[in-house]
Amino acid sequence: MLSPRSSVPPRDTDIRLTLPARAENVAVVRHVLGALAEALNLDRAVVDDMRLAVTEACTNVVRHAYGGREGTIDVVVRPRGELLEVVVTDEGRGLGPSPDTAGPGLGLALIEALTHSFEVERSDHAGSRLVMSFRRLTPSMGMA
Amino acid sequence: MSEPPTQVSIAAGPLVGPVLRRVVGMFAARADLPLDRLDDAVLVADLVAARAPSHVTDTTVDVELSSGSRSLELTVGPLRSGGGRALVVDAAVPGVGNVIEQLADGLDIETRDGHEFLHVRLAYDGTP
Repeated sequence: MLSPRSSVPPRDTDIRLTLPARAENVAVVRHVLGALAEALNLDRAVVDDMRLAVTEACTNVVRHAYGGREGTIDVVVRPRGELLEVVVTDEGRGLGPSPDTAGPGLGLALIEALTHSFEVERSDHAGSRLVMSFRRLTPSMGMA
Repeated sequence: MSEPPTQVSIAAGPLVGPVLRRVVGMFAARADLPLDRLDDAVLVADLVAARAPSHVTDTTVDVELSSGSRSLELTVGPLRSGGGRALVVDAAVPGVGNVIEQLADGLDIETRDGHEFLHVRLAYDGTP
């Protein structure tokens, strides 16, 4: 079973948030990304992409993972060289359409378009883990 | 009704201050604390961010936040033995005194599993 607090080994630059999976807490995650962006002096375009992708991932957890039950969102942010990795984990029924929607929606496609890379681990019973990587510099900023 | 606590764990380093002050400020606003108490909460967050890294048991500063009706509680830890009191003492400012003690409505040190946890409660009892 995926365990949010053990599935991602800690690093010396990690930020980890564990929050109740409620809509209002998605704003907390966005706010933390804003603080991180300021502290690391990230490019605005990168921050915008990161906020949108992470918002999609967290909203997916809030809407679909727990089916009305209480649950948590675990978000780990790791600056890693030229990449910034964000891992969003839940312990619910994993990613995917909820019973009240007809299809998978645009969330994952949007995340794929906004990230440098992303991968999903999911299970019907043990939750899901979405790992997103972002480049800290845009190509126009002279990144090698 | 208060919601389950939120946990923040930040590697002891330059990101502790910027991240913790934002989260604490947001939860203070959510708790409907008035502006002066919100400022107090952010000041406490800044002090914890500055002083806690010397007293944690590992490489991260861990804070649990619980907001209620016009109240906010921060639980800082795990801290090493004696770290709870030391963190509060370290927050003293010459000529001002101990800032955390002056701003908090409640201050407790809990020992659990061999580690200390500092509870700081800020509240507002005035009429909205």
